[in-house]
Amino acid sequence: MPELDVSTTVNGRPVEMRLPTRLTLADFVRDRLGLTGTKVSCGMQVCGACTVLVDGDPVSACSYLACDVDGREVLTVEGLADGGELTPVQRAFVDCSALQCGFCTPGFVMAATALLRDEPHPTEEQIAHHLDGNLCRCTGYLPIVEAVLKASRAGGIDE
Amino acid sequence: MLPPFELRRPVSLAAAVDLVATGGTPYCGGTELLAVMRLGLASPETLVDLKRVPELVGITAAHGEIRLGARVTHREAAASDAVRTHAAILAAGAGLLGNVRVRATGTLAGNVCFAEPRSDILTALLALDASVDLRSADGARSVPIEDFVEGAFTTVRADEELLEAIRVPARSGPSAYVRFAPAEHPTVTVAVVATGDGCRVVVGAVGERPELFTFPGTGDVDPTAIAERVDITEDLNGHEDYKRHLTAVFVGRALEQMGVADA
Ligand SMILES: Cc1cc2nc3c(=O)[nH]c(=O)nc-3n(C[C@H](O)[C@H](O)[C@H](O)COP(=O)(O)OP(=O)(O)OC[C@H]3O[C@@H](n4cnc5c(N)ncnc54)[C@H](O)[C@@H]3O)c2cc1C
Ligand code: FES
Ligand code: FES
Repeated sequence: MPELDVSTTVNGRPVEMRLPTRLTLADFVRDRLGLTGTKVSCGMQVCGACTVLVDGDPVSACSYLACDVDGREVLTVEGLADGGELTPVQRAFVDCSALQCGFCTPGFVMAATALLRDEPHPTEEQIAHHLDGNLCRCTGYLPIVEAVLKASRAGGIDE
Repeated sequence: MLPPFELRRPVSLAAAVDLVATGGTPYCGGTELLAVMRLGLASPETLVDLKRVPELVGITAAHGEIRLGARVTHREAAASDAVRTHAAILAAGAGLLGNVRVRATGTLAGNVCFAEPRSDILTALLALDASVDLRSADGARSVPIEDFVEGAFTTVRADEELLEAIRVPARSGPSAYVRFAPAEHPTVTVAVVATGDGCRVVVGAVGERPELFTFPGTGDVDPTAIAERVDITEDLNGHEDYKRHLTAVFVGRALEQMGVADA
């Protein structure tokens, strides 16, 4: 099985491993690093449950090669809360009841984090466009948009 | 699970071209290629990752045209001042297509080479009269986008050729881009560009490949006539009647966006 040496940073921690070329980023963080916050649902870049950030950009970890994070930084949902202290985005999701079953939530939180990094004060329309590729079967989306607006008022991605 | 493959990561264009010449498959964002491999529709032995090739990076504007290297993502194109100013409909298409993750990872070059019939990028590039630069171990050639795409998922690119860059004539005249996308890919895309000597209207997504209609001026564009003439493929996105109807409506909306009266 073809493999490559990969040297990356995951949630601020350096990781060096030899990985099969065909391993996806989702399987890498979930199975090799035990970071199971990243969920896999559709496996075809449609639902966004697997959203993680690579060098700050949102990607579908289900359809992204683990070897492609060689030399780059990965941020998963586990890397957000600092010593248990939730980020404004996470806090707002709780406060606005922007989750029910919670399966989509890590993906939405990562996508929202990426948005607020580029656009600290997005309009409702910008939020809807940015989150268009994240699906939620439970909430009806309105509390999610509200949570992102609230997080943006609360100072965006940092405390 | 993906089938097994070798992953090569060249750091020069010459090395990339050599790897492709010996049977390697070009790979950039992987948004199409990995999906196709997962479905079992392709199992290339060797992927040639283009993301470390310095010659393929970036957007430059010079000599009346914009050059987009093969590594340029949809997100980069949509945010580029040069593209927004001189190829506004390309920025619009790139900023609207797929979803935020596809736009951050997928490249315009990969989109063009895959030649998916419902491509926003091909619609915009055809309206802008763009061309692509191809390079192989034996030489280089440039092909107008109109001749590059032969049909659904087929182009004139030879297996051993790399798409090096997309070149778009800089234009600042009136233009419009509209699309209807109730699902992941659009059901119809319409681009209109007023040039010095006429008006180019492109209708995409309804057929095998985007189709160009030219008129002496924007005032001469007839949405109903285009809807009657355009080639339609019936599929899960809709029946022929429905797609013809949508075509007329969206050509009309594009003209409205350009401020053409009586559209
Ligand atoms: C969920 C989803 C929704 C999408 N929605 C839209 C949409 O609404 N509109 C739209 O237009 N597109 C859409 N796309 C397609 C998207 O634009 C393309 O997937 C992307 O741009 C392809 O680029 P890539 O770098 O990922 O290509 P890859 O997947 O890496 O490659 C695609 C193909 O091109 C070849 N290739 C890549 N680069 C080169 C090169 N430089 N030279 C030669 N061959 C090359 C590869 O061998 C492969 O055959 C969607 C995709 C997904 C997954
Ligand atoms: S699991 Fe990756 S997008 Fe759905
Ligand atoms: S909270 Fe259940 S899918 Fe979104």
